[in-house]
Amino acid sequence: MAKGFYTDTTVCIGCKACQAACHQWNELPALNDGVVELTGDSYDNTGRLSAVDWRHVRFIEQIPEDRSQDGFLKGSRWLMMSDVCKHCVRAGCLEVCPTGAIIRTEFDSVYIQQDVCNGCRACIPACPFGVVDIGKDGKAHKCTLCYDRMQHGMEPACAQACPTDSIRFGDVPELMALADQRVADLRAAGVPAYVYGKEEIVGGLNCFFLLVDQPEVYGLPSQPRLPSEHVVEGLGLSALTAAAVTVGSVVAFRKERMDGMGGDGGEPAPVPPARPIGTPAPAVPGRDTVAFMHAIHGANESSRTRRPASEPMPAAGACGQGGCGGACGCHA
Amino acid sequence: MRRRVRVPRLSALVLAPALLQVGSPYVGHGFPPHWGWYIVLYFFLGGLSAGTYFIATLLLLSGDPRDREAVHLGYRVSFPLLLVCALILILDLGVPIRFWHMLVASQRIPALLFKPWSPISLGIWILSVFALFSAAAFVWSLERTGRLRWGPAVRMIAWAQGRPRALMVAWNAVGTFFGFGLAGYTGVLISATTIPVWHNARLMGALFLVSATSTSYALLVLLLLRRGAGRDEPTIAKLARADRFSMVLELALIALLLLILGRTARPLVSGGFGVLFWLGVVGVGLLIPLLLRRRAVLGWAGHRQEMIAAVCVLVGGLLLRFVVVVSPQFPAVSLWAL
Repeated sequence: MAKGFYTDTTVCIGCKACQAACHQWNELPALNDGVVELTGDSYDNTGRLSAVDWRHVRFIEQIPEDRSQDGFLKGSRWLMMSDVCKHCVRAGCLEVCPTGAIIRTEFDSVYIQQDVCNGCRACIPACPFGVVDIGKDGKAHKCTLCYDRMQHGMEPACAQACPTDSIRFGDVPELMALADQRVADLRAAGVPAYVYGKEEIVGGLNCFFLLVDQPEVYGLPSQPRLPSEHVVEGLGLSALTAAAVTVGSVVAFRKERMDGMGGDGGEPAPVPPARPIGTPAPAVPGRDTVAFMHAIHGANESSRTRRPASEPMPAAGACGQGGCGGACGCHA
Repeated sequence: MRRRVRVPRLSALVLAPALLQVGSPYVGHGFPPHWGWYIVLYFFLGGLSAGTYFIATLLLLSGDPRDREAVHLGYRVSFPLLLVCALILILDLGVPIRFWHMLVASQRIPALLFKPWSPISLGIWILSVFALFSAAAFVWSLERTGRLRWGPAVRMIAWAQGRPRALMVAWNAVGTFFGFGLAGYTGVLISATTIPVWHNARLMGALFLVSATSTSYALLVLLLLRRGAGRDEPTIAKLARADRFSMVLELALIALLLLILGRTARPLVSGGFGVLFWLGVVGVGLLIPLLLRRRAVLGWAGHRQEMIAAVCVLVGGLLLRFVVVVSPQFPAVSLWAL
């Protein structure tokens, strides 16, 4: 049975007990080596989920334009939400991991094996929620759903520490039933609550949320996509292009040959006797740039460096050496 | 009477990109993976390695003895570049010593690990298989030009030369297939993310592939020209002509890609990176070389003009990868501060 979290944001009080408990149990170091840098964003001073913050409490202060006492009381709201890895049913990070470091456990959670990860960082942009992060040890880190605790029948540290039961741990279907009931109750009371993390969100989230505003308000994408959805298409388009490049190159090669044969000299360019490509070629002296431009642009194109009509064709053997095998084109 | 004839035509114009789009572009957010210069260089050099192998093979199979030097040059450049690629890929890892975890299931040695749906896993295997072909061609070239006289290699090549031509063609075709894989998968890898401009860029693999062949043509032209003016003219003319085709295709692909990306193309085409994209990638990398190969300029000597065009193509190819890889990761960074 899939295990997960149901995080009810309506009862979160922003105490960060979950964040502290997570740090303590998982022995996570303080962000930025404990050097405090205030973000200036409400009570939030860790900013985002990261390699050392596997829980992150968001504070969203919604303050109305009307700052009078009356307007403030009516329109202001302070939303709080304890964010965490969603342990997606279809996990982008797990899909792209090339080492097999990211696995799905017997609890259906998504777990990064630290002894396998080699820090290629593919999982970081693969996660549509920005959960995975690279640690100072060069390896990827994120919430483990307290895999070690679960193996001993204990609930994750954050859920145990939560004083308001905003974070609940259990079997996902049971949690979802609880959440649906809560949504119904809240809606009856006029609160536009909904569950974020049903099947339409990347196949479902084992750690889902009850929200009362748009997902973007909480820093969640309303329509997350999976990273691998264009892989087959991308490879197919690349294959088509490879075919086009091959055909184009072959045509370009042959065209040059034909131009060489039917140049303005009237005479076909002499082809040297067949010599295996592996054998050393005799030395050929350089030609003048006029002929070079002809060779590059084709004899039919007008070019400033083109040989004037008055100039006679180079005499046979002008290259001075017979050893060119006719490749210089100046003698038959 | 209503004029209805125009409507379907117009809508077809609008629908063409929309059909490729399949719904609105993804505008969510993923966090940047901090892929920097190592990855930019890998994308560039990997493309060159694959491209030079492809060109050398095509020249070899077309059987014109005048291309002999270019064939050997291509094969002798491809493998060393691939070695550099492997090195920088390993250095880029967070834990470089674990590079082999990409190929072997580290917990079930010696079981191999292959996840074809993961672009990195696919790419590492493509790179590994291509390395075999590239190395074989490298050794062949060294032996044929008398630079390698190691007994086993000589005997091996003598044996291979005795096989039917069809086998040789098949071997080279398979090698080229994996080479194209190496040149193109990097773009697919970029699109297997949730960063909008990358995610929506399903043509990136095709674009990188064309750019890889184009820059490889330029590299070979440059190397041939450096050997001395005029010696390999027929080959250079061929390569320049084929490069022109690649560059026109690349321009078309860039236009189509920007059309598909729509507003999510912002990080690429605006700000400091935008300047680099328009002036560097499109201007220096494509338009200037196309122009230089079209007509004589300033009375420059032909080979010098060709050399400048080739350098421009190479610079453009590197800049393309730089802009594509770096700009979405650091949109707030002004380019001048880098």
